[in-house]
Amino acid sequence: MSRVIDALDIETFLLCKDEEEAKELALALAHEMNLKLGDVVFLEHKGYGARVRLRAYVHRPGDHYQWLETEEAQA
Amino acid sequence: MSKVLLAPLDPVHDNAIKLLNRKLVEAGYETATLPPGSTPEEVIEQGLTWRPSAILVSRTLGYKVGEILGRLVDLAEASGLRETARLGIGGMAITREVGAELGFDATFVGELNLPEVLAFLEGREFKAQVGDERAEKRTKPNLVEGYTYQFKDTRIEALLDAITNQILAWAEGKTSPGIERAKIRAEMIAEGVASGDCAGKPGVRQRLLDQYLGLCGPEIVAFYCENKLPSGVRRLRPDEIANLPHVLQDGRPGAAHIRHVGQKPSFFTQYGTGCPVMDVMHIKVCEAWGVDGVIHFDPSWGAQCEGLLEGSLSHEHDGTIVTLENFRFIHRYIDPGTAWLVRVHRGLNTPETLVLGQASGADYLKINIPYGSTGGGTDPERLTVDGVYCLRQAAQYGLPYNIPGNDELSGVPPHKSFASLLIMTALGLKLGARPIPNPLLCYSPYMMVHGAMDDNMVDMNLAKLAVWREIVDAPVWPGEPVGFMTHTPDRVQSSVTTAAHAALASSAGAVAVTFASSDEAYSKGPISLPARVDTIRATREMLRFFGSSQFRLTPVAVGLTARLHEDITAVLRKVAERGDFVAAIYEGLLGDRSDGLYPGRSGAHTVASDAAGLRQILSPDARWHQAQKLSEKELRPVSDRAGHGQETGPNAMRIGAKGDA
Repeated sequence: MSRVIDALDIETFLLCKDEEEAKELALALAHEMNLKLGDVVFLEHKGYGARVRLRAYVHRPGDHYQWLETEEAQA
Repeated sequence: MSKVLLAPLDPVHDNAIKLLNRKLVEAGYETATLPPGSTPEEVIEQGLTWRPSAILVSRTLGYKVGEILGRLVDLAEASGLRETARLGIGGMAITREVGAELGFDATFVGELNLPEVLAFLEGREFKAQVGDERAEKRTKPNLVEGYTYQFKDTRIEALLDAITNQILAWAEGKTSPGIERAKIRAEMIAEGVASGDCAGKPGVRQRLLDQYLGLCGPEIVAFYCENKLPSGVRRLRPDEIANLPHVLQDGRPGAAHIRHVGQKPSFFTQYGTGCPVMDVMHIKVCEAWGVDGVIHFDPSWGAQCEGLLEGSLSHEHDGTIVTLENFRFIHRYIDPGTAWLVRVHRGLNTPETLVLGQASGADYLKINIPYGSTGGGTDPERLTVDGVYCLRQAAQYGLPYNIPGNDELSGVPPHKSFASLLIMTALGLKLGARPIPNPLLCYSPYMMVHGAMDDNMVDMNLAKLAVWREIVDAPVWPGEPVGFMTHTPDRVQSSVTTAAHAALASSAGAVAVTFASSDEAYSKGPISLPARVDTIRATREMLRFFGSSQFRLTPVAVGLTARLHEDITAVLRKVAERGDFVAAIYEGLLGDRSDGLYPGRSGAHTVASDAAGLRQILSPDARWHQAQKLSEKELRPVSDRAGHGQETGPNAMRIGAKGDA
């Protein structure tokens, strides 16, 4: 994870009845995957489910970047 | 008249406010707008002066949303304006949760939904409906309607007349194990004994099954007699079949369109995950996102065995197995407004696949004798006999058929591929069927080797479509899928190239377009739904971008069209002069070894002049059994070696592979 420069995107499709349920399921999925501060970036529901992009920032701009550290510091 | 104050609480973005202003004026409202960069204080000041019944504000940028909008709400309450004016908020930075937390009376998310805004302004409850498809009913496309099939090029028409007369005369009276099995299948269906679990008439079933198995290869016989399933195949459990309606009960197909303008083209996508249940899920999602038709893909090995399996079967590799039960299961869930195409040219089971497809509700078929009888395909003599039989059946049942030109993927130049398509077009017309040629829009080996697309992919593809308009008034359906060999493992890149090809085909008047899923080529696994949706969305956006504008033939494209036309004519002349269509395929007139083509071998020596001749062929010491043993040996290494993506199903789009269609 330390080499992820900024964000991790999860692309998926969820079986659900509407956008509200899709969002709930997506956030629950982020939690289940232990993605800290996971959020729904994109969501479109049609018919039987929703196309979803979940995002979790590993390093936000201005954060302390692990990938910037020297190997000694990381150790 | 109600007064509405519109204000962008955003330093730059006010498009939504302008658009909403126009819509509200058209709807009879009196409006006032403030410029971008307005502050909450200025909005309140204007509100107190002008006294609107509602204030609608927008915010696009994401920073300081809570601070700015919260201040607006606080000021509205403190000034007393809230008592006479209701507050609404919308914009890209806004979610329903944010709007509610800040205390707005209404929050609008996503694209402008005017009925929702009007309901708010009029104090009515807005009942959310399903996207933009609420009022529209899906309609199954009729792809052949309005085409005369008149040949505009009389030289080509005369050559095709000679070629097809020879084919029909040659095929007259000939039969094959595939045709005889198809007749038995049809009888089993008519008698109601086509499934192993059917009740009643056990004697009839056994009699017909015995006849059927006498025409089958050993793997198929082992399935029926010893219950041996082919490798990677399992029966669906009853609960898997029974639970699907429950899963789908809350959904609805909708009527979204991929098209932005006009009624053409219709968009088709291929399915064939291996599992009928997963296929249904993919089909339903594709329908919801606007696909007009779906195409069934089965495993390549199914084309190389004499005989078909039966039952509800799942397959762990690419392609969903052709059985009556699988077809009917899938068709049960296909929306009545969705067209369903069944690939008929399934090698040794070509006639039988047509019978099952027709009995299950197929709307369109697919067959191309020259393409199917080359590469790893079927012996040309066998497929010509079976193919002619199928075209007669297609005519009898009134089922149009498309003609894939995927031999281009082996390296065949477009003029030879198109000559084949024209022969199949004319052959079907002569038998009373309705053909739809599928010129392939692709970055084929021929184009790579000859540098024909080094500069761009527009000129050649436009020429490949324009030449059809010069030759015959027929529907043209580029596929299969468009953009073949332009795809890479990257989803964005693949979606873009697919969308670009689809837009080009749409611009050139195509009646239908088959597109791939963006991860179809290199997904290293079954096609995924997110990738399917992304491809559809990319195509929809590309069509939105182009709208009614058109690609025009450049002088280069005009030259390519003329050359293509001339070369097609030359190929047809050679085939006509040869006077023997089957020999022309064997001898490579429609694609030879230098083009990457060679005659198929499956089913060699299995054509007879009549039923008695067929019995002779099927005798234990006959060449057919030798050929069967050979083909079983050849089949296994192909199947076992294949791995994912090597088979010729929807995932098999790799350079050098025979791209099935």
